[in-house]
Amino acid sequence: MNEMTPVVGRGIDRRGLFRLSGGLVVAFSLFGGAEARADGLPATRLGGVPDAAKLSAWLAVHPDNTATLFTGKVEVGTGVQTALAQIAAEELDFPVDRLSVVMGNTWETVDQGPTYGSRTIRYAGPQIRHAAAAGRQVLLDLAATHFKVPAERLRVKDGVISVSNAPGRTVTYGKLVAGKRLDMTIGATGTSFAMKVAPQAKLKNPKDYTVVGTSVVRKDIPGKITGAFTYIQDVKVPGMLHGRVVRPFGVQAKLLSVDETGLQEIPGFVQVVRRENFLGVVATTEWGAIQAAAKLGSVLKPKGPTAYGAKWSDWNGLPAQDHIWQTVRDTSGTNTTVNETGSVDVALHGAAKVVKATYRTPFQMHGSIGPSCAIADVGKDRATFWSGTQMPHTDRQVMATLLGVPVDRVDVHWFEASGAYGRNGLDQVVADAALMSQAVGKPVRVQWMRWDEHGWEPKGPPIAQDLAGAIDEHGNVTAWRHHMWIPTFLDTTLVAAQLINQPNVGGSVGLGLPAITYAYQFPNADVTSHGEGRVALRTSWLRSPAQFETTYAMEAFIDELAASAGQDSLALRLKYLKDERAIGVLKAAAQAYGWEQRPTRAGKGNDQGKLAHGRGIAWANRDDTRVATIADVTVDRATGDIRVTRVVVAHDCGLVINPDGLRNQIEGNVIQSISRSLHEEVTFSTARVTSLDWVGYPILRFEEIPDRIDIVLVNPGDKYPAYGGGEPSTCPTAAVISNAVFDATGVRLREIPFRSDRVKALLTAA
Amino acid sequence: MVQAVKINVNGADHEVRAEPDSMLLYALRDNLGLHGPKFGCGLSECGACTVILDGVAVHSCVTPLAAAHGQKIVTLEGLSVDGKPNPLQAAFIEEQAAQCGYCINGMIMTAQAFLDHHPKPNRDEIKQALNNNLCRCGTHMRIVRAVERAAGMAPAGAGAKP
Repeated sequence: MNEMTPVVGRGIDRRGLFRLSGGLVVAFSLFGGAEARADGLPATRLGGVPDAAKLSAWLAVHPDNTATLFTGKVEVGTGVQTALAQIAAEELDFPVDRLSVVMGNTWETVDQGPTYGSRTIRYAGPQIRHAAAAGRQVLLDLAATHFKVPAERLRVKDGVISVSNAPGRTVTYGKLVAGKRLDMTIGATGTSFAMKVAPQAKLKNPKDYTVVGTSVVRKDIPGKITGAFTYIQDVKVPGMLHGRVVRPFGVQAKLLSVDETGLQEIPGFVQVVRRENFLGVVATTEWGAIQAAAKLGSVLKPKGPTAYGAKWSDWNGLPAQDHIWQTVRDTSGTNTTVNETGSVDVALHGAAKVVKATYRTPFQMHGSIGPSCAIADVGKDRATFWSGTQMPHTDRQVMATLLGVPVDRVDVHWFEASGAYGRNGLDQVVADAALMSQAVGKPVRVQWMRWDEHGWEPKGPPIAQDLAGAIDEHGNVTAWRHHMWIPTFLDTTLVAAQLINQPNVGGSVGLGLPAITYAYQFPNADVTSHGEGRVALRTSWLRSPAQFETTYAMEAFIDELAASAGQDSLALRLKYLKDERAIGVLKAAAQAYGWEQRPTRAGKGNDQGKLAHGRGIAWANRDDTRVATIADVTVDRATGDIRVTRVVVAHDCGLVINPDGLRNQIEGNVIQSISRSLHEEVTFSTARVTSLDWVGYPILRFEEIPDRIDIVLVNPGDKYPAYGGGEPSTCPTAAVISNAVFDATGVRLREIPFRSDRVKALLTAA
Repeated sequence: MVQAVKINVNGADHEVRAEPDSMLLYALRDNLGLHGPKFGCGLSECGACTVILDGVAVHSCVTPLAAAHGQKIVTLEGLSVDGKPNPLQAAFIEEQAAQCGYCINGMIMTAQAFLDHHPKPNRDEIKQALNNNLCRCGTHMRIVRAVERAAGMAPAGAGAKP
């Protein structure tokens, strides 16, 4: 296994100074993962991805006894960079603060699948764990040769190997490796999430963990706090120009003509880029590009399709917004049965009580605070990208297809972006930059304007759901029907490709899937999903895609059944659940909250002051993570304003790598999902999205945040493997709030968002 | 018309060549290469671009460069003392008060200008001070705790620990 070659351009020498065109010198730390050549030009590493079967694909050890972990996963603000480093450091017996992490660069990381679906710790974690364990064994073998003793006599602590019972005989990992590349074969099979790395590696017993399970401080946070951090929006490459897109007035409008009058007078203006219906401008300065784009029609409130330099056809092909639910139901779709038990129809027919309800959830957006940004440098036979995508290896393939360049002539440099929470505009803007760079023959940085992001990021789809339940004379639930109409949230097509009339290059529209875990043991059940393709607007995955919505309907409707049967909502759930971990989180949340069993008050016997008070409960199983949430709300009877005052979350995602990092994620999920529940709905005309800024699409503000969020981590030890924590605690929130508002007021909220005008109207009608 | 505009940023004088009616944000980011102030909306709606101009937190995305002529500007980078985080920044690190962190420039600059004038605020005053700054990751609880910590208050609502 002693096959090492001198390191060229990897590991420690990537630290360096990167001289930028503006004369600024930026020191990239190891954590930044940026490449620099001695001459200051960005390095390209054209020629493919590293071989996952080699240790060097995962690990470099440097002479100063620091090390670098390489992973195809990326940091999206959830802390996985630090958590993955903890997993590697644990198996390596190496200090986590001396282990840096290079993420996502396509020429030096393995494709471990996109960073989505709360799958990073669950799937990439074991891959990295095995690679690191194999690395430790390699280093012990090197030390055995070095000391001429059997490996069994060696001990490791903090990256220093010593010989037992031989004081003074020590060597660091760094000295052993002596700057060489770790070319040893550790083995790997499979691809992406299913890849198995170093299957023979001997793993540490989780009982001996000292780094995994501790709240190691996040590696990225200090730089983000001081301004030293480099986001994708901060990257500059030599000779770079600035581009802005000019999108069609109507979603599918055709570009009729472009009047360039006045553009030449704009300082720094370079040229218009037009290809079919794709339109952009390029300038030497951002301000120049923004001014030029505005003249062509890129403004917050455009007056019409022909009111600016770019003249668009008058396209009005979207359904009316208040008709979207019928549009969703009217599509043909493909039915998927989630659960079919007994006969719901028979049970409904003979029931003492039948309850029926329809739930509706609108288009919502990712709403990243930083608009999407990318840089492309496209030459005749190669292309280099700088991107904040969640899927750099996939985007590399897609860009090769879009440009007609062999994939081994494409590199993607990855830098962290503003949080995306799914597939926002980051993958779209790469294609915009590609087309503009290709047209001007120079590197072009494209950043979307706020209205581009709000208007053109793919949205979370609108979902319609019908539910019915039967209750017998003893208060038992005898039947459960849940029908879902779910448009696609897997659309990977590109706006830019559509605009150049090649809509299917690089992606597909996909079909909505039944994102739900049905766990209740009702004697008769019919849970069916009608999956659709694209309905009205381009959609994609948005945090807990579709399961935020299906959990809302399922967990609000079970509260409706409990209310109808006059039973405690928690007790009714526990009566029909067998899933031990589900029962575990529900009981843990109830205990932490101090849940006293009683039927819902439905607004009666409550305080009759200005504010009505209520409590709600809901739970979810998203991809094996169980989470139960309880919250208190107040409802202002006069205004309809809802405030969530206290939240308790019990969370079981199995083995916890970094407890504080997980708590940060849970708090974030709770607050973001309160925002989605109370405020968020994309608005649109028959031509275009009309909620194009934070006034049109408001999100939760500081004055609305809960007084406290209490979090209980259930089963955080090694009883279960590590599942995901990035999304699941989003799922229960809307149902919790809806149930709490019913408890407070007797008004049932069956449509998101729970804006005050809607709540007030329901209160008035009640 | 591109002109030379003099601004003092983080204690150093600069002459920026740009259009006077272009926005200060682009001069800071593109001409001076600073990473602290961010482009978020360009509409004075989110606060990601916040800098302190003559002691007042302003949105640099809508502040014309001409309005900053001859003025003293402090950015996130300028808060550090001898290369170390200042007390407010240290409190943000201590509370791990960031997720993606894109909004955090605005949070810190707004909170710094606020604390400079209100050194002993209560929790509601902190929330009001930050109410025009948007965070999408949902880091609000930690951000409030960090400002409380910097103000010497006992952080509240930290949540139950198992």
